Amino acid sequence: MRTPLRPLTRILLARQRGENPDLIERENLDRRHEVLREKTQVRASARLGLLALAFGCAYVTIGVRMGHLAASVPVEPVASARGAEIVAQRADIVDREGRILATNMTTHALYAHPKDMVDPKGTAKKLAEIFPDLDAAALERRFTDGRSFVWVRKVLSPEQMQLVHEIGDPGLLFGPREMRLYPNGTLAAHVLGGYSFGAEGVHSAEVIGTAGVEKAMDARLRDPAEGGEPLELSLDLSVQATVEEVLAGGIAMMNAKGGTAILMDVHTGEVLAMASAPTFDPNDRPTPLVDKNAEPADSPLFNRGVQGVYELGSTFKIFAVAQAMELGLVNPNTMVDANAPMTWGKHKIKEFEGHNYGPLLSVSDVIAKSSNVGTAHIALMVGPLRQQAFLKSLGFFEPTPLELIEAPGAKPLIPKRWPEIVTITTSYGHGMSASPMHLAAAYTAIANGGIYIKPTLLKQTGPAKGVRVMSEKVAAESRKMLRRVVTDGTASYGEVEGYEVAGKTGTADKPKKSGGYYKNKVINTFASMFPASAPRYVLIVTLDEPINTLGSIPRRTAGWTAVPVAAEMIRRVAPLLGLRPKVELANQPTLTAAKN
Amino acid sequence: MTFYDNRLKQVPTGLRKVLYLNWQLVVLIVAVASVGILMLYSIAGGDFDIWARRQAQVFAAGLVLMFAVAFVPIWFWRSMAVAAYLLAFALLIFVEFKGKIGMGAQRWIDFGVIQFQPSEMMKFTLVMVLAAYYDWLDNKRVSRPLWVLMPVLLTVLPTILVLMQPNLGTSLMLLLGGATVMFAAGVSLWYFVAVASLAGGAIAGVFLTRGTPWQFLHDYQYRRIDTFLDPTADPLGAGYNIIQAKIALGSGGWSGKGFMQGTQSRLNFLPEKHTDFIFTTLAEEFGFVGAFSLLVLYALIIGFCLVSALQNRDRFSSLLIIGVAANFFFYIAVNLSMVMGMAPVVGVPLPLLSYGGSAMLVILVGFGLVQSAHVHRPR
Repeated sequence: MRTPLRPLTRILLARQRGENPDLIERENLDRRHEVLREKTQVRASARLGLLALAFGCAYVTIGVRMGHLAASVPVEPVASARGAEIVAQRADIVDREGRILATNMTTHALYAHPKDMVDPKGTAKKLAEIFPDLDAAALERRFTDGRSFVWVRKVLSPEQMQLVHEIGDPGLLFGPREMRLYPNGTLAAHVLGGYSFGAEGVHSAEVIGTAGVEKAMDARLRDPAEGGEPLELSLDLSVQATVEEVLAGGIAMMNAKGGTAILMDVHTGEVLAMASAPTFDPNDRPTPLVDKNAEPADSPLFNRGVQGVYELGSTFKIFAVAQAMELGLVNPNTMVDANAPMTWGKHKIKEFEGHNYGPLLSVSDVIAKSSNVGTAHIALMVGPLRQQAFLKSLGFFEPTPLELIEAPGAKPLIPKRWPEIVTITTSYGHGMSASPMHLAAAYTAIANGGIYIKPTLLKQTGPAKGVRVMSEKVAAESRKMLRRVVTDGTASYGEVEGYEVAGKTGTADKPKKSGGYYKNKVINTFASMFPASAPRYVLIVTLDEPINTLGSIPRRTAGWTAVPVAAEMIRRVAPLLGLRPKVELANQPTLTAAKN
Repeated sequence: MTFYDNRLKQVPTGLRKVLYLNWQLVVLIVAVASVGILMLYSIAGGDFDIWARRQAQVFAAGLVLMFAVAFVPIWFWRSMAVAAYLLAFALLIFVEFKGKIGMGAQRWIDFGVIQFQPSEMMKFTLVMVLAAYYDWLDNKRVSRPLWVLMPVLLTVLPTILVLMQPNLGTSLMLLLGGATVMFAAGVSLWYFVAVASLAGGAIAGVFLTRGTPWQFLHDYQYRRIDTFLDPTADPLGAGYNIIQAKIALGSGGWSGKGFMQGTQSRLNFLPEKHTDFIFTTLAEEFGFVGAFSLLVLYALIIGFCLVSALQNRDRFSSLLIIGVAANFFFYIAVNLSMVMGMAPVVGVPLPLLSYGGSAMLVILVGFGLVQSAHVHRPR
């Protein structure tokens, strides 16, 4: 009930008594204020209570959480420890039989804390004695110029480590360090590539691939999800070793600058051996050439099998013939014009050493005798567009899909325009360039019955799915022709008894850097497959600038250089591959039971 | 002579004020600060000179300052409230353009001898001005929209300025402090409900539309919020402090490893171990018992403040005490939640414990005001 400020009765009474009525109003105002104050006070207390309650709740939550944490067992988040990703081991690389090609080894790195050193001068001198390539004066300067950390050596051998221990200076410290080890030295060097250290810390360093499979598969090798499962390559270590050995011997015998050999399984596309000479040791990878004028092929790091993009010469002829047969334009017995020299516009097409196989030659003989003119006429029947499409389907227009970091960069060189003269030159392997790896993949299609499969360096579990590029019949006819090249054609030195080698030789002039071709520098190639009746392997051997000086005159054709080297390789490798030699009974004297 | 003047007559004068100080509060404050100095000594590996000495000196100076503030009558402080607020506000604008940059944020003014953060000064001047405002305002108008707008502006403007520095922690403190004073002053609950539901709705809106074409923020902004809310998702970045702090707390167990025996903090696993994350060292070395005792000390400080506020019949004094106590509480709550991984890391020190002169002085000045209000309360 609100009291009025000036209640009439009281004011009248006060006036009667002669008092000041304002006092009554003042008194009532005070009373009203008092009531208001009480009310505010109550409300303020209520709010304060609520506030205290809220604070209390928050406090209890914090207290409970505190107790919960105190009762918990602390767990260090393992993955978060700094450097964990560096320590994670790089996976091994093994061959198809599980034999180690690349693995890791723990060694130590040597670093120094000069502030903790007792005798920087003496230590520097002793270190220089252990590591002759270190300069004692320079080391001493680095130890004494006030820095607190100095790298001395990134990788130590155990013997060196022991010697450093014997110096006994407390300022010298060791950090464990994973390094990559290639136990087979130069074996398969170009496939493996090499490694270097990435992010480096005192306790570990990141190992990263710098070339070859190591770089191309770097992510896979470092992926912790793979659980250190080794990377299985398609290579066969023993086959690889043999191929390398024969190639090196062949290069020496044929006075070549270098060479390459590729052995491929025709059903799976697996590369069983891939050698390039000269070679190097991936444990101690040489530095790349710095001279700009130098040929890249002069560096041992150059992988000729993949990066050596050259004209492949007569080995290409079989593709023109196979395509013409596939299109039904010719059969092996069709006679074609082989009159040399052939004139096309202002160009003259000649045979090797000015031969003339004309006037007419059967298609089969065109391959056996390696007739440029005959192939040219066949190619003209096919025509430029169909020729390009066929070569494209054989993979000649793209870099090889091999799992090497070098592969995507080695693009084939294809003529920009494709008039008929290019069709003619391309048919016998001039005017367009590709790598031996390209050639191997294309020959695989002929060998396996007409299916182009992509070459791979990784072990496969079964036959690869490919694209059919020619019928089985055409592939078989082509193989028969290639077999004739060995039995009575240009590759007679290629015969290996029992293994029915088939193949095609190719000799291409080496291009000058300035343009044009060298007169007497050639690249010889022998593209082969064995056994011819049901081929299982394709072998490509290429020699760079070989000269066979064994005979009475120096010879530079493939039949005298690459072919015998390839034959020796097949002779040695076939038993390793488990191929049983086929005894051709027809040539054996037969026994007949004597009648008594 | 009015009722009010009559009551004021009994307020002690001169040195007699010493007897009427809230001595319980003083003892508690000294106790907590001593724990802080002890911890700083321990974190430095038993070295008094690194942090502990300076902290002790600042605390001593702060204590003197607190008594000085306490001896000045509360009505003087009330009359200074608006001026102090305006000064702090001007300084905030000043640092916005001319301040010194420290730890990636622009918030310092360099006076040569002492570096000073205006945002710290704003913390108590805001409370003062709001308390003075509600003391002046007729009680009937407290919940009228226009009269609510005024304190909201007083709070929000400096908050925005501090947020721009950027200093998320302090701006959060300002907002919570201002809201608490308004709440205690009796502003209708509906305003708080409305603001809370609006904020909740906005947050829900932002997150519910995530992944739809009409989402409010960019994807990367969402991801940033994710890491902010759940730092453990980024253990080497944002979450590093918290994970290490949790390990420290867990390894302390119930009774701790013993004074100077903590490894987590001493082995430099924890950055900011002497400032925002000092609590982890305490928890590691003295365990749950030590940490809980500290919590009790803090609770007692707040409790004594609230009781003092309840007894004080002067509206300005009462609201001022509540504001200071609330600020103190929010510091503790946000810091501890942050350290224990219940809240995002916003950079709020633990009051009286964390190393840092500016924060320490501000807290002690705040308690000086509380003491002044206590001594000069109408009886």
